[in-house]
Amino acid sequence: MKASISTVVIGLVVLLVVMSMSLFTVDQRQNVIVFRLGETVSVKTSPGLYWKVPLFDNVRYFDVRIQTLDSEEPEEFTTLEKKPVLVDSFVKWRVVDVKQYYISLRDSAGGAEEGARKRLMQTVNGSLREEFGKRTIRDVVSGERNKIMELMREKADQDARKIGVQVLDVRLKRVDFTQAVSDSVYGRMEAERKRVANEQRSLGFAEAEKIRADAEKQRSIIIAEAYRDAQRLKGDGDAKASAIYARAFQQSPEFYAFYRSLEAYRQSFKTKGDLLILEPGSEFFKYLRGPSGRGK
Amino acid sequence: MALNDPNWGKRGNDGPPDLDELWRRFNQKLNAVFGGKGGGAAPQTPGGRQIGGGLGLLIVLLLLVWLASGFYIVDAPQRGVVLRFGKYVETTDSGPRWHLPWPIESAEVVNVSGVRTAEIGYRNNVKSKVLKESLMITEDENIIDIQFAVQYVIKDAEDYLFNNRDSEKTVVHAAETAIREVVGKNKLDFLLQEGKAEIVADVQALMQEILDRYKTGIEVSRVTMQDARAPEQVQAAFADAVKAGQDRDRQKNEAQAYFNDVVPRARGAASRLIQEAEGYRQSVIANAEGEASRFRQIVAEYSKAPAVTRDRLYLDMMQQVLTNSSKIVVDQKAGGNLLYLPLDKLMQNSGSDAALKPAQPDASPPIGPVPDASSRSRDAFRSREREAR
Repeated sequence: MKASISTVVIGLVVLLVVMSMSLFTVDQRQNVIVFRLGETVSVKTSPGLYWKVPLFDNVRYFDVRIQTLDSEEPEEFTTLEKKPVLVDSFVKWRVVDVKQYYISLRDSAGGAEEGARKRLMQTVNGSLREEFGKRTIRDVVSGERNKIMELMREKADQDARKIGVQVLDVRLKRVDFTQAVSDSVYGRMEAERKRVANEQRSLGFAEAEKIRADAEKQRSIIIAEAYRDAQRLKGDGDAKASAIYARAFQQSPEFYAFYRSLEAYRQSFKTKGDLLILEPGSEFFKYLRGPSGRGK
Repeated sequence: MALNDPNWGKRGNDGPPDLDELWRRFNQKLNAVFGGKGGGAAPQTPGGRQIGGGLGLLIVLLLLVWLASGFYIVDAPQRGVVLRFGKYVETTDSGPRWHLPWPIESAEVVNVSGVRTAEIGYRNNVKSKVLKESLMITEDENIIDIQFAVQYVIKDAEDYLFNNRDSEKTVVHAAETAIREVVGKNKLDFLLQEGKAEIVADVQALMQEILDRYKTGIEVSRVTMQDARAPEQVQAAFADAVKAGQDRDRQKNEAQAYFNDVVPRARGAASRLIQEAEGYRQSVIANAEGEASRFRQIVAEYSKAPAVTRDRLYLDMMQQVLTNSSKIVVDQKAGGNLLYLPLDKLMQNSGSDAALKPAQPDASPPIGPVPDASSRSRDAFRSREREAR
């Protein structure tokens, strides 16, 4: 029968259509709510293949992976010291109760997700403002950073559960000074560096002077000591020489006096510039007066 | 040959059955199931059969194509994640793979070993900074300009796909928050100088903790600090401080060099002083000994003939003295008149003589040119005469 092939084919097609209208898959990354005529019938949280009544049942998908809420522009908060800071934070959240989520946010402008974002943002900013106002910049940047983030997370999570959302993390991405405060910080940093530079230079000068002074002190000491030792040596030499002379000359003091005087006369009168006025009657001229040495 | 011929379908040779014949057999069987009651022996109209055959062929082709769509290739650095009706089933290794085609199964291929880099504070190279990202507050409320590069790989394809919506952005966020937290806990000087290794390790640990908390399936393989410096506005002051440190060292070195010059020199001078003194001492003693010895020897000779020796010595001395000096013999006893001696003139003459004739203590003849002056030549003649004698 020619109807048989076509029947088979048509039958297959109809089967496929019916199947596609009564089966649906839930992906690992999604949760699903099944509606019948506007009312929620069931919620599917495990992935797999499920049945529904074709035509009457409506299926809505929700991405339940962790999402990031990131504020585009940093918010300005004031710290305990009345200093303004720019804070950029992000929130890690996900849908955990799709039914609650849908019910709370189905009427939000821009859709459920947008609604969730707005609400989370408000909550987080509100509590950030509060926490920052209680603390100094140093606490916020360093000491109590973790504590603040954990507090944020708890508060946000508490609120978020009401709309079927879990907040996993609220983290401070950036905490920065405003422009005005930055400028004054730069001024302070510059001044502090200048102080360090001056200190270094002064220290260097002082240390150098110390070394130089030490060098000169050592020089004086070395030379003085050497002078002392030299004088001692010279004195020793002189003393010994004197002793030698004395020992030798003591043997015949009179002859020494004679001998030494002769030498003295020799040395004293040795140039034409030395003038002697002599008497012819002296002993020296004895034989000048006469061959026998007599006469005047 | 009719359809119900028993030889239908048999061939003379053992070639592969052709498609047409296969199709006809298939059709026959279908007819047997669906149209057997209606008298399967009755041949169909050629038109209907043709349409049926064409449609069937199309369906088989579609079926094959559909099955073939289940093929996929997983490259060496990749892994394939297979979902059945949306549910995770397995992770496949590299190589050619097949899964039951959609909508039954689907596969997503993820690059796991490929290293990706997240840049914080700059793009592409360190010169093109992103100041919003790179300027951070330190523990001592200073501002630092710091840039990081983070390298990461996917360690778990399953986690990577199913837990986070925007994994790449998550890495960047985690990096920024971790870096800022670590920088915020340390002082500026530490960050600029000794702290690099510790900072990088802290950042890596913190980032990994955050990423694991979100079960991203990502592993941070390496964190490097690309650049860390004071912000532009204060660069000059910072550079000067560094230079000041260098100046300090330089001054110390210069002073040390001075020290190393002065002290050894002083030691040298000291040594010289002592050596000179020693030399003096030795020579004075030696002189004394020499003189003493000479004297002793003369005394020995003198004691053998004292009177004669005495006279001899005396006369030698007188000769030498009178030879070398100017003399005037005046007889005072002869007259009581006042004697005028032009001593100035005498001194002058003798003075110039003395200047030109250097005195020799041992009465050796004067050497050197003798200029023209009558008195002097007379003197010279006389002294030479005396020498000749």
